[in-house]
Amino acid sequence: MEIIRLEQIAFSYGPVQALCDVSLNLEEGVFGLLGPNGAGKTTLIKVLLGFLKPAAGSGNILGTSLANESKHFRFDIGYMPESDSLIPGLDAVSLTAYLGELSGMPRNEAIKRAHEVLYYVGLDESRYRQVHTYSTGMKQRLKLAQALVHDPQLLLLDEPTSGMDPQGRKDMLELIHDISRKRSMSIIISSHLLADVESTCEQALIMAKGRIIARETIAHIDRAEYTPLEIKVTGEESRFFAALESRQWRIEAGERGLWRIFLPRHEPTGILFRLALDCGVQIRHFRQSRTTLEDVFMRALGENDDH
Amino acid sequence: MTIREKGYSGWDGELRRGRGRWLPIFRQGIRSVFRKKYAKLVFALCSSTFVVFLAAIYIATKPELKMMAELVRMFSSDAAIFNTFYTNGFHFWMLIILSLFSGAELIADDLKFKSFSLYFARPLRKVDYLLGKLSIVYFYLLLFTLAPGVLLVLAKIIFAGSFSLQPRLLAGILLFPLLAALTMSLLALAVSSLSTSSKLTRVFIFLVYMFGNSLAEILKHVFGSDWFYLFSLQKTVEQLGVFFFGSKTGWAYPPWVAAAEMLLLSALFAFILMRRVRIAEA
Repeated sequence: MEIIRLEQIAFSYGPVQALCDVSLNLEEGVFGLLGPNGAGKTTLIKVLLGFLKPAAGSGNILGTSLANESKHFRFDIGYMPESDSLIPGLDAVSLTAYLGELSGMPRNEAIKRAHEVLYYVGLDESRYRQVHTYSTGMKQRLKLAQALVHDPQLLLLDEPTSGMDPQGRKDMLELIHDISRKRSMSIIISSHLLADVESTCEQALIMAKGRIIARETIAHIDRAEYTPLEIKVTGEESRFFAALESRQWRIEAGERGLWRIFLPRHEPTGILFRLALDCGVQIRHFRQSRTTLEDVFMRALGENDDH
Repeated sequence: MTIREKGYSGWDGELRRGRGRWLPIFRQGIRSVFRKKYAKLVFALCSSTFVVFLAAIYIATKPELKMMAELVRMFSSDAAIFNTFYTNGFHFWMLIILSLFSGAELIADDLKFKSFSLYFARPLRKVDYLLGKLSIVYFYLLLFTLAPGVLLVLAKIIFAGSFSLQPRLLAGILLFPLLAALTMSLLALAVSSLSTSSKLTRVFIFLVYMFGNSLAEILKHVFGSDWFYLFSLQKTVEQLGVFFFGSKTGWAYPPWVAAAEMLLLSALFAFILMRRVRIAEA
């Protein structure tokens, strides 16, 4: 089932173009929205929620037009904002139940469900505490609970692990992974943490300068068209690297004299040793590494900059 | 985390997709205001006028109580009773305190704690949100204007033993608090939407009334025209009483102008609210 379809969406804050011709088609699944600051991730989420009206383009969320004035699509969306959003003067149960009611749940059902989701996210023991006394990690969990309370079809998570300690972050990612197993709920995670996206998502959408510049299936990243190799050489380095560059292989300088070579998959790794021999250099360190989302991300950003 | 042995489980219920999306905001707001510190004190003070007028109506219906002859004469007209009840200075200032007690933080706190993204991620429109917030202040203002007004009518009928109110007066008893409370509620909310500090909002609401009164008095004394009383919300409310209850006392400008001013102010405050909420939502 198609959950999101956007066609040439554009939005600008005054003279600043925040989204430019964004077209997107998402079926059910778990998606990561990646991009540097100012790439347009939050603006895109605000457009998906109907907070911002696109200057151009059209779209459908869960089969309802974005232009729908009564915002009916929000009945089926759960949103976890990045900011420390709270409703003061309430305990966690009251807040979660209240927001459930606002999503259309009957009051008694909302209270019952609030207890369930707070238990699920690990706030069962502090559910009667005033929410403004919560720590950052607890607030993150509470925000997830309120997004889940009405069991939405689409969950939008904006920086879900922001400000969390390592254990809290691990727990949050486990929760997201667990929720994603329920196939009727699709999830979009906006994050600048590549590892979060890599560990929870099926696909990564990479944004830069208001555009979606790449879309990668996480499971396929390992099967990319190149093999990343990590090497350290001694000797006539410049001749060796000139030879690599003449073959148009990508080279990246790493830390402590390490270099990353992106060898086309059809080339055997032995060719590197032959070239080293020809150029009079010794390879003192050689390691074949896995293609990571970071490689894809950096490559996409690099290509986008070239254009 | 020890809680996910069962994993995530969904909810099988049916969401209500009809109208009345503002009702949960109203219910939650009523509960929150009622649980506030000093709520009972404020409510008691706001009710004190009702108790006094209840006693006055009883005495007014008993001409044999000669020691209260002055009061009996003053309250000989039903219109005078209700006009005085709604527009007397003490009750008016208690309503201001009630409006800032119940309304000052309604939007200011949402701005401060960035609650808009939680509200508007729900199927709420701006008008639902504002209706929900407005209904909280409006409810409490009507609780201490319209409700006691209706109770006084009932008391009058019970004490006098007959129903002798004119339909115009009855309309005035119902419409006066509806209009006055609407303007006061919208003012409290509009000011609340201008700041993230509820303390500042309380001070500002109070200053709006104080400054209006002072400005009106100064201009009236300098230029000698009652028209300057339009700057004072309290004086405008008094003139609104003349409009609804047909009292002979009042300021030297047509009473309908007061009603028009209240409507215009309400529209202005509603415009400010819509604009502020639209900016905050984005």
